[in-house]
Amino acid sequence: MKASLFVTCVVDQFYPEVGESAVRVLRRLGVEVDFQEEQTCCGQPAFNSGFRSDAKPLAKRFLDTFESSESIVIPSGSCAAMVRVFYEELFHDEPDLAAKARNVAAKTFELTEFIVDALGITRLPESSGPPRRTRVTYHEGCHLRRELGVMTQPRALLEAAPGVELAPMRQADVCCGFGGAFAVKYPDISGGMLADKLRHVAETGADAVTACDSTCLMQIAGGMEKSGMTTRAVHVAQLLDEAMG
Amino acid sequence: MADRQAFMASIRRALGRDAPGASVQPPSETALSLDPADLDARARAAANDASERSDELMDALARSAASAGWKVARVSTLEEAAGYIRSAALDVEAKTVVRSAHELLDSMGIDAALANVGIRAETMTAGDESGREALRETAFHAEMGVTGADYAIAETGSVALLARAEVSRLVALLPPAHVAVVERAIVLPSLDELFTLRRGAFYDGNLGSYMNIITGPSRSADIEQTLVTGVHGPGEVHMVLLE
Amino acid sequence: MKPKTGDFNRAAASALADADVQRNMRGLYDGFHMARERAAEATPNWEDLRDRARAVKAHTIEYLDHYLGMAAENVERAGGKVFFAKDADEASRYILDLAAARGVKTVIKSKSMLSEEMGLNARLEEAGVEPVETDLGEYLIQLRGETPYHIVAPALHLSKEQVADLLQEEIGGPRYERAEDLTAAAREQLRGKFFEADMGITGANFLVAETGTLVLVTNEGNGRMCTSMPKVHVAIMGMEKVVPSMEDMGMFLRLLIRSATGQRLSSYVTLVNGVRRDDDVDGPEEFHLVVVDNGRSKMLADPALREALYCLRCGACLNACPVYRKVGGHSYGWVYSGPIGAVVSPMLTSLPDAKDLPYASSLCGACREVCPVRIDIPRMLLHMRSDLAEGGPHSGSPRASLAERLTMKAWRLAVARPWMLRLANRLARLAQRPLVKDGRLRKLPPPLSAWTRHRTFPAVASRPFRDRWRSELRKSRRDG
Repeated sequence: MKASLFVTCVVDQFYPEVGESAVRVLRRLGVEVDFQEEQTCCGQPAFNSGFRSDAKPLAKRFLDTFESSESIVIPSGSCAAMVRVFYEELFHDEPDLAAKARNVAAKTFELTEFIVDALGITRLPESSGPPRRTRVTYHEGCHLRRELGVMTQPRALLEAAPGVELAPMRQADVCCGFGGAFAVKYPDISGGMLADKLRHVAETGADAVTACDSTCLMQIAGGMEKSGMTTRAVHVAQLLDEAMG
Repeated sequence: MADRQAFMASIRRALGRDAPGASVQPPSETALSLDPADLDARARAAANDASERSDELMDALARSAASAGWKVARVSTLEEAAGYIRSAALDVEAKTVVRSAHELLDSMGIDAALANVGIRAETMTAGDESGREALRETAFHAEMGVTGADYAIAETGSVALLARAEVSRLVALLPPAHVAVVERAIVLPSLDELFTLRRGAFYDGNLGSYMNIITGPSRSADIEQTLVTGVHGPGEVHMVLLE
Repeated sequence: MKPKTGDFNRAAASALADADVQRNMRGLYDGFHMARERAAEATPNWEDLRDRARAVKAHTIEYLDHYLGMAAENVERAGGKVFFAKDADEASRYILDLAAARGVKTVIKSKSMLSEEMGLNARLEEAGVEPVETDLGEYLIQLRGETPYHIVAPALHLSKEQVADLLQEEIGGPRYERAEDLTAAAREQLRGKFFEADMGITGANFLVAETGTLVLVTNEGNGRMCTSMPKVHVAIMGMEKVVPSMEDMGMFLRLLIRSATGQRLSSYVTLVNGVRRDDDVDGPEEFHLVVVDNGRSKMLADPALREALYCLRCGACLNACPVYRKVGGHSYGWVYSGPIGAVVSPMLTSLPDAKDLPYASSLCGACREVCPVRIDIPRMLLHMRSDLAEGGPHSGSPRASLAERLTMKAWRLAVARPWMLRLANRLARLAQRPLVKDGRLRKLPPPLSAWTRHRTFPAVASRPFRDRWRSELRKSRRDG
């Protein structure tokens, strides 16, 4: 199976290690990974802020870049939702582009969704050395859950990962307060939501908090550092990489 | 009518139509797509089903009513029912009990049962304007109201009361306690059967002016989300299930 | 009432700083929200019910003129009168004229969001008629001269102490402490009004077109009082509340009530068909139904916003919304709050004035997840944002600030091409150099300083993924 990685602008610029983990995990599961260097950003920041004409060229670039890929894998529920759900809306009055968007959407997956649903993998290869034991709690990204309907796949993979123990979090599906431009426009409301999330993370006593979106983790990690929590914030791709490594 | 025509025209403009929808076909999701001609048959089927399952429905009603906040009493005879009502009236130290003119209450001899322990029972029936005023006053000061019921709903633990000649809207509303007597024959499985029957009543021309579905005591959680019973309606409610 | 939707930021800041408000709001999740969750789970075929109800609402709204016409005829057949009002003023004037003609001095009212929207109480007072709100929460906020804090629980923001002060000032007598005693005091105060009043005004949860039946859902019993005691009953209703069949009511009541409070059924569901019949023991002699547009046709006319008119006003989206639970109801600046309020309030007032509301959401979608008729609120907020940012039917010209537009242009430039992204990366690394410590930015200069009040920020990576891919990953193939 071949997969084109859309690494997202946030991973590219802030969390390249997440992209590296995604590549290693996919390769270990037998996937032939490529990276189309023409990719930049899916356009979500502009779309969510209402600047649709600014989002369109980026969406077009994405469609052109990935049109001929066999499948497209994104280590982010939010960016995957932009492509899968919102491109069609963005091009609702341009039938040709809307059709192209539908075609690309049909082969676009969030990372854990790709592994479980497209590859049909729920058992992971054993790691070479003894697994590193980690108690992990999982935060559910909003777009992942509610736009893509991906709820069971990340948990299934985490449960299957050697050495990983999953600690359930209260209100795991409640927004961390990031919301892209929302956190910039309303930093204090966003901060209030973050404080609730941090309380729920702390209650679990987990060593690490994980999610399928680097943006949620950017928010949560930033809040944890500010409030002196020592819990690690790691992307699911990194945990899977560690567990299989 | 001018108001109506202008209003409808502006709705049609907003919907991008310039004339009323020529023939509006209700989709299968709404019961309006079901022919009212079949209503009787459906209502009968519902009633038959209910009477076949009446043991099960009585049990379900007792459970759902209790969880909705009714004090549930299951009695096997009319005398027992009258006895229960009398002791409930004594518990609230009632001087006056108002009641509707449901036949069931007549046949259990409720007035005499209450009179025996010195409680006055007043029946609220239709009268002229001044009579109605006096009845209001009586109901306002009564400590308890007693009614029958037209339907009971096992799904939700409710009784439904229709307003009609012998049944005042106020008996189950003004006094701080209410007792509803429910016979086995009126218990319906769910809200759906109730509304099928009510729809049938409309096409039979006897929908009446008012129906009230009562589910437990009057309640509010408006102060600090704390549940309080007995706001404007009865805070104490009894459902007497007559087997 | 006059909207204060432009005040969102200031009002939200004061709610965030108010410990009482924050405590009350936190209770919403474990209270109403979880109660809804349990009720939905316990209801057979809950998801099918939602689909069906959505389809029925979609159809009814598509043929709204047809169903309103059918409803009106049936109300009239049952002895009622129907008035169609294009706006709040027309509706209020109809009621004021009626009150004057019948010599009405006191009106008892059952909770109605539309009445709040119309500012009806103020209009009645001006005309010398005393309006008395009889829903406990609504009574409390009437005494305070406020709008509802929550669609279902209007006085959600008040502490017991505030209620105690309020009631003592209004009624006199002892100062009660417990919720039971405070409720009892309000009950006693309102009892007399039920007898005095010459007119009862209620809202409408549903109007059944097929039979002309008004359906009211209440818990306290005040709705029954308002429909039974006075000689005149006036029901005011937003035009979207009509539903086709009596037999649809089981579905709608389950969805509305279980989504609102998690009860299997509210204490009272009252169905009204016109006036008292000749042989009825009691009931009103006159029944008037006032159907109100008041800006709703703006939502009707925009296919992207039409589904806002499917709303049953259950309040589930407020309880589910993490933003509402932080900023509370009054921040939204008008009658409707929370996610649905962020759509409806701007449409019924003015989108440019309320331009903060569509942005007051992280687009998390929790609202849609709980909505009994699956209204896609995030999608509508996005639609309104685009209308605001770039201009559209509701905003006219673009309303984005210069700073917002410049930021957008700069960002778009940075991500336009891979080489520009590389350049932006280099510039960012240069700019962040004096601020980075251990790979983190802990204090950013304005306008980003607010961000670092609550969280630190990662530094831009010195080697972005695309560089790492080129130099190592591309070649390494499989390393496992």
